[in-house]
Amino acid sequence: MSKTGRTGFSLSVVAIGNAEETVPIDDLLDDVRSNYPGYEYNALPLHDVFRMIPDDATLQDLVPGPATGNDQSNKQQLARLINSLTSATARADVLSTLRTRLIVEHAKSTGCQSILWGDSTTTLAEKTLAETCKGRGFSLPWQVADGKSPFGLYFHYPLRDVLKKELVSYMDLTEPVLSSLVHEPSPGATQASTSSKNTTIDDLMKQYFESVEENFPSIVSNVVRTSGKLQVLESTDADLRCGLCDMPVPGSRFGIHGWGGYQQDSIETSAVASKNICYGCTRSLPQPTTTTSSR
Amino acid sequence: MPPSICAVCNTNRALILRPKDHSKLCKPCFINVFETEIHHTIISTNLFTRGERIAIGASGGKDSTVLASVLKTLNERYDYGLDLILLSIDEGIKGYRDDSLETVKRNAEQYDMPLTILGYAELYGWTMDQVVEQVGKKGNCTYCGVFRRQALDRGASRLGVKHVVTGHNADDVAETVLMNLLRGDLPRLSRTTSIVTSTPSLTPSSGPVADNTNIKRSKPLKYAYEKEIVLYAHHKQLDYFSTECIYSPEAFRGSARALIKNLERVRPSAILDVVRSGEDMARLVPGSDEGCGGACGSSAALPAEEEEGGCGSAVGKSMASVESQLAANDRAVEHNLETEITLKPAKPTQPPSTASSKGQKKPRAERTGGPRKKGPNKQVMGQCKKCGYLSSQDVCKACVLLEGLNKNRPKNKIEVGYEVQDVSLNSVRDELEAATLAAEG
Repeated sequence: MSKTGRTGFSLSVVAIGNAEETVPIDDLLDDVRSNYPGYEYNALPLHDVFRMIPDDATLQDLVPGPATGNDQSNKQQLARLINSLTSATARADVLSTLRTRLIVEHAKSTGCQSILWGDSTTTLAEKTLAETCKGRGFSLPWQVADGKSPFGLYFHYPLRDVLKKELVSYMDLTEPVLSSLVHEPSPGATQASTSSKNTTIDDLMKQYFESVEENFPSIVSNVVRTSGKLQVLESTDADLRCGLCDMPVPGSRFGIHGWGGYQQDSIETSAVASKNICYGCTRSLPQPTTTTSSR
Repeated sequence: MPPSICAVCNTNRALILRPKDHSKLCKPCFINVFETEIHHTIISTNLFTRGERIAIGASGGKDSTVLASVLKTLNERYDYGLDLILLSIDEGIKGYRDDSLETVKRNAEQYDMPLTILGYAELYGWTMDQVVEQVGKKGNCTYCGVFRRQALDRGASRLGVKHVVTGHNADDVAETVLMNLLRGDLPRLSRTTSIVTSTPSLTPSSGPVADNTNIKRSKPLKYAYEKEIVLYAHHKQLDYFSTECIYSPEAFRGSARALIKNLERVRPSAILDVVRSGEDMARLVPGSDEGCGGACGSSAALPAEEEEGGCGSAVGKSMASVESQLAANDRAVEHNLETEITLKPAKPTQPPSTASSKGQKKPRAERTGGPRKKGPNKQVMGQCKKCGYLSSQDVCKACVLLEGLNKNRPKNKIEVGYEVQDVSLNSVRDELEAATLAAEG
């Protein structure tokens, strides 16, 4: 490190398990550690997000059910939160948000300055359109651009100029071959699902950009460059934050009510707007039913 | 199982599953909810003022027909005090536009609104049938989109109307947001999501142009789903024309449209979610000084340039051509094949305000590139030297296209005579005859 005359940096690798705990992150991390022994490694289950944010009451409030469950374990709280969501898109959305928060909290607690995300050009383009379609256009600058994040850390995307298919080629070309270290999801995961109930918006964008990448790779990188040009407004630090994704909401325009698309509801359910949840997260969380539905 | 009960009145049988939120409604409640939502959109954005004269851009299709019906209903029910008229543009496409205009004529009788029909032949001397003969089917949508936008504004200006409403719905807006993201067009994002845009008056005036001479353009159906518009038209038994344009291959828009339909299937609210994201992203576009991103209405109308939605879009390129252009740009940057030539701008331009970067500097995305661009260049709107229309260049696009067409005009003249439907357009005919004589001379 001292040969270059620059200050070296130490790397801390973190792996997050999925909600069902079907991915063997400990074994995978052991394989990576044997190849690259110089780094620090951590494997965290996803439900640790409830442990690492103890003073944040808003995350606890999102878990439905009786409030008497003070002795509820983090795992049970996560299970109850996920089970209360009504669609596959909502579940995937909340899980992704919690994963991001867990990584951020872990980076803070270990004294990291920056987070290096592994997103490629294709993944960033998928995320750009997926977040747009979930109503989170306001937070795109923090989700896809390099620079300071609203959490006090710096976000960087070193692979932002590399397409996913180029990554796959690289894995097979290196010595030793890296493909054995990569955990592959189930082979049929990216196939077009005929049932729309189990398809999520993220799956849809993944299918879309995998087809676009084959024929029109420049459009993929163009999407990432476009979203990278969006700039954060200067009044961001004063804005209130969403209780779930912790993003600053410009103008504190929380919830889906009171906006042009849903003017009619604003009178009836204005009391529900006391929770500070952004538009996109409000879409994923279940709506408290104030009307007696007779369906 | 027993039949479902309407979620609103809890009395009648629910016959309609609402596309927007999948609530079950009976027919009268659906019609009332649909109309009330549009009313709230109009009120919350201060779209209209009392006594205003409104021209409804009528094409005979479902969107403009529903728009005319709803505006008439709301104008009477809530006493907006508006003077509503119908304004149609005849592109001169046989077998398509002449049939749809018959529908508009019937609508004018049903709704008791005066109708004005303005044709490309009167304004430009060319019908779309003739344009297609000249340039082929490949790029004719560019001509039609450019001509139609100007025609609607010129028609409104001649009639003394300051406000034109169009039937663009939420699906159109969401589709355009996604398309602009795919094409990397940030400046258009603000105009796409704004519910009101305006165009400076066509009348050339010495001295500064006053604000009241601008022609506003608004979209009251901006938050209405396309499926609900069809349901509303069906249950109110509205008379509309539903054939697509016979000349329009729209591969790029088709890609965004297919994506929108897939999204709607996965999550019904995704269309409005995209509209909301588009409004939020409009604030994040550097150089954009529109604070509310289109959420509030007429207090700060944006200058309009390109038409959003509908057929005949001027920006309808195919996916392959955009890809080849972007790939060529990347290749040029990579090998330093291009040298940036700095030209003096034709009109003085204020440099876009660059936000000061705090803390750690961002790593450069392109190491071998030339000087970094400071975000998208903001367009400066002026007036065309020839016709006085809004343009960021000296000569507007319609005049450029018209000049190109006229140069290649065949020697044999093709006489196309369209009847002017309104006597108030005699002055337009006289001006066109004078222009024709000048062109021939």
